[in-house]
Amino acid sequence: MAEMIKLFVNGVEVEVESGKNLIDALKVVGIEIPHFCYHPALGADGNCRMCLVGIEDGRPPLVPACKTPVAPGMKVQLDTGKIKKIQQDMMEFQLINHPIDCPVCDQAGECTLQDYYMTYDAQDSRMTVPVVSKGKKMDFGCGVVHDQERCVLCARCVRFTRLITKTGELGIVNRSDEARVTTFPGRPLNNRYALNVVDLCPVGAMTSQDFRFKQRAWFLTRDKGICHGCSKGCNIFIDHNREKYKDDIIYRFRPRLNEQVNGYFICDEGRLSYHAENEGRLLAARVDGKDCSVDHAVQAARKALGPKILMLVSPECSIEEMIAIKALADAVGTKLSGYSDGYIKAGDGDGWLIQDDKSANRAGLAKLGIDATKETFNGALNSSDAVISFNNDLFIHDTGSEFRQKLEKMKVIAVSTHNNTLTQNAAIAIPVASYSESSGSVINKDGILQHFGRAVQKNTPLADMTQIAGMLGSPIVTESDIASEMKKVLPSLTEVIPEGGLKLTESEAAHVPA
Amino acid sequence: MSVTVKIMERKGSSFLEKIYLFEIFKGMRVTLGHLWRNLCDNSRLYVRHYPEVKPEITPRWRGRHRLTTHEDGTVKCVACFMCQTNCPAKCIMIEAGERMDGKSEKVPVRFDIDLLECIYCGYCVEACPMDAIRMDTGIFSVTSYDRESVFVGIDELLATKGAFDEEEYKKGGA
Amino acid sequence: MSQLDILLVLLRVAVGAFVPLCFIAVLVWLERRGAAFFQDRAGPNRANIFGFRAAGLVQNAADGIKLIFKEDVIPGHSAHKFYFVLAPLIVFFCALVSFAVVPFADTLVLEGKQYIMQGIPMDLGILWFLAITGFAVYGIILAGWSSHNKYGVLGALRASAQVISYEIPMGLALVSLLVVYGTINLNEIVHFQGKLLFGFIPMWGVVLQPLAAVIFIVSAFAETNRTPFDLAEGESELVAGFHVEYSAMKFALFFMGEYVAMFVSSSIIITLFFGGYQIPWLSTETLVAYAKPVSMLLMGLVPVAAALFCGWMMKNNKSHYDRPNDPRVREAKVYRIIIWMMVVVVEAVLVGYLLYAAGGAADRILVVLLQIVTFLVKTFMMCFVYVWVRWTLPRFRYDQLQLLGWKMLLPLALLNIFITSAVVVALS
Repeated sequence: MAEMIKLFVNGVEVEVESGKNLIDALKVVGIEIPHFCYHPALGADGNCRMCLVGIEDGRPPLVPACKTPVAPGMKVQLDTGKIKKIQQDMMEFQLINHPIDCPVCDQAGECTLQDYYMTYDAQDSRMTVPVVSKGKKMDFGCGVVHDQERCVLCARCVRFTRLITKTGELGIVNRSDEARVTTFPGRPLNNRYALNVVDLCPVGAMTSQDFRFKQRAWFLTRDKGICHGCSKGCNIFIDHNREKYKDDIIYRFRPRLNEQVNGYFICDEGRLSYHAENEGRLLAARVDGKDCSVDHAVQAARKALGPKILMLVSPECSIEEMIAIKALADAVGTKLSGYSDGYIKAGDGDGWLIQDDKSANRAGLAKLGIDATKETFNGALNSSDAVISFNNDLFIHDTGSEFRQKLEKMKVIAVSTHNNTLTQNAAIAIPVASYSESSGSVINKDGILQHFGRAVQKNTPLADMTQIAGMLGSPIVTESDIASEMKKVLPSLTEVIPEGGLKLTESEAAHVPA
Repeated sequence: MSVTVKIMERKGSSFLEKIYLFEIFKGMRVTLGHLWRNLCDNSRLYVRHYPEVKPEITPRWRGRHRLTTHEDGTVKCVACFMCQTNCPAKCIMIEAGERMDGKSEKVPVRFDIDLLECIYCGYCVEACPMDAIRMDTGIFSVTSYDRESVFVGIDELLATKGAFDEEEYKKGGA
Repeated sequence: MSQLDILLVLLRVAVGAFVPLCFIAVLVWLERRGAAFFQDRAGPNRANIFGFRAAGLVQNAADGIKLIFKEDVIPGHSAHKFYFVLAPLIVFFCALVSFAVVPFADTLVLEGKQYIMQGIPMDLGILWFLAITGFAVYGIILAGWSSHNKYGVLGALRASAQVISYEIPMGLALVSLLVVYGTINLNEIVHFQGKLLFGFIPMWGVVLQPLAAVIFIVSAFAETNRTPFDLAEGESELVAGFHVEYSAMKFALFFMGEYVAMFVSSSIIITLFFGGYQIPWLSTETLVAYAKPVSMLLMGLVPVAAALFCGWMMKNNKSHYDRPNDPRVREAKVYRIIIWMMVVVVEAVLVGYLLYAAGGAADRILVVLLQIVTFLVKTFMMCFVYVWVRWTLPRFRYDQLQLLGWKMLLPLALLNIFITSAVVVALS
């Protein structure tokens, strides 16, 4: 904990952390200073002049808040007429050439310019000359669409490509009212985090081709979630909406701040992984190729359970689901394998957010002592005559082809969220709720335990994995059973999992395979 | 500012009024007067012979909706969803798409109004920044034998013309 | 029994049973068109058969057909289906049967035999009416109770309490009246009213007993559950009251029962207070004695009345909007032809009577016919008063209703008995 210092804002004494700038420090105590160009991850640039504040008895008396560190006894003025006039004038400058096309702008509703106009400006334009027209609907590559007219030239996007991704595709060319953000000719955005500029952009200059015109921002319900795209476990917002007469579907993922895990950003692949939650889902239960009710399919699967069946659990499952499945395996008295080399895409990771391992909870497998080695899996497969897979798509990245022929000859029961190679050949296929439709906890590759809640409420909700396991005969079904079991497995988990995730102790994290 | 107090005369306290019978006869005289007048000449009834004689619709009347167009026939709507957002009955369903005619960036590819759910409050008209939706068709009777035909889409909304000229409509307070 | 006896029995039963039934249609029409005109509306004027609307009477036929073909629902939650079915029958039957004692013409003397002109020739008179109408409320109570519906039960409770409250002033008002008339036989009561007071005022009940008349009429309104006393079915608070669960023809029976009850109580009011079938100043004997001049007068009056009516009809029976070849005008023209044909027939009958049958039995038959017409016209006018009151007055609040019954009508009726008795004793 940093040292606390006292300073005055509008004559009122507040206590803030030292070592921060005014914007960040005062935000903690609930005082907002308007700003466009400053972003905690990108540092202070000081080009927008929106955060100018007065310092009483200070030299100079007028400073940009983003560049000014807090100091003891500092007397900050935010509500004097002069500061308000400066803020209003800055807004008027920003809006001189703004097209005001909020009706067609995707940012409307979550636009800083809109919010600040209502708070700090609120006057009609005094401009009589026509606005400068610039490029619109420019394809910057990587699914980023740029509108130069809406741009406020805060250079967040430019700094992102230079400081964060170190690729530097963007730049500001020309001067004054002709200044614009653009790419170098023939060199569009080309990095795996490019869509973060859409979130960074305070206005609607950067929009996502993927989300473009799909929904207005105010219709979306924002729920917190954990990205299951890889073993990093980035924190996200799941923005979903149920339109009239339709089903609840996800429209986009956005990064959610978690300093411990992902910071402010997520990768493009993870951002677009919401498509998999909406499409390609297994929705109806099947027995021998015929659609049937889930109950019927579960009964059929239950009959097939026995010591000669191999249980295969997915590293995508949450800890809770794994506990229930493990209890089921123990109750049935059969072998349980977590073999899932198919989820590993060697060489894909970049050492930052993108990982080789594309499963969300492989660390959880190890924590529960579920064997995931190829050898034991192979041995168990040879001694079994049937396989029940709990959402484990062995062939997801097509590396498990050596088992494909074996599995084709065996009876396969697939409890799955998606239609995949296993469910196609499965004798029994049972649909199950995906991670956006259920809640659970996952441990990422750094040994951080994170909890996610249920976000999407489908019109006809699918049963989640623990329910299916319970229907198949798992003795651990209720939430309290699972919670007490979890505490046995994870000693450092005392009460609830904290908001930012729980870093498991070294001794616990020691099992985690690299 | 002083409060003005008006004391209302309380009726029904005199003896004759308390007997009630005379007051009844007074009332009956009034009603009989109406009956006699209408019996002698039924052309003076305060009724409109509705299906044959249509009511006169003023420009302020909120009738069935329509979507307006630019002079060149392109749709004015830019699919900003303001009407859908403001609709208290949630009867407007829009799907937006990319616009290619250069008028704007966005255009509704689907614009459905469920007239059975619509409460004809006119909020959509007030919310529209483009004057793209209006309720000036003068269609006051939305009836049908099935639900599908009162679930109107963009084509039908565009095809219906306004019942008033621009000047009249503007004068109506829109 | 001679053939004449049988014929007259059939005739009386027919009048006693079918006149109230026919009046249902007339009264429904009167209620709806009357209500409309009171409120400056048009009323039902669309239903037609080949363009003939009969001033809206065809609407009744349409409604009747609709009610017959509607689904007849017996609520599944009702535990007493028998009573549920029985209730409307009781209401309708009681209303219909209570008309049986009302004389619609003076006693007809043919071939030395006397034929009493009422549905059932008996001497119970007004007591029969009191007994039967009091019974009708059982139908309402049964209906409300067997519906197993809170609105139904509330309506039934209101109806029963109301009938108890208003039968007492009604009976007491009758007592003072009977003291004056000295008989309970309705035909004798009507005879009594044929006399003249001071030689020029018809000695009608309303003249002799104005207070009793008011009390009786008010109570009769309450007994028939008509506005302002229709709390049993007050739709604003009880949806439909006792008949909320009824549909189709069972509902129609309640509906028709109400109108029959209205007709019957009108006829009783006429009989007790407005001279029954008597034409003022023209008693039966006078009419028989002057049959020829009366028929000649009729011959003159009938065309005049027809001409006036046709003039009114041609003026009003037309569409009030542009309509090529207005069918309503065509319709009125057809009616005019029919009316004049009827006039011709009536004239022919009267001429035949004057030429061939004057004197003797034909005179008396003519008088009976005249008296029946008089009776029906008077009853119709009383029914009109019912309609008129309904569309003038709002409904009472329930406590006001009970207050009026017990604290106003009952003491007044008792007072009236004392005064009447004193005067009668003093005069005799």
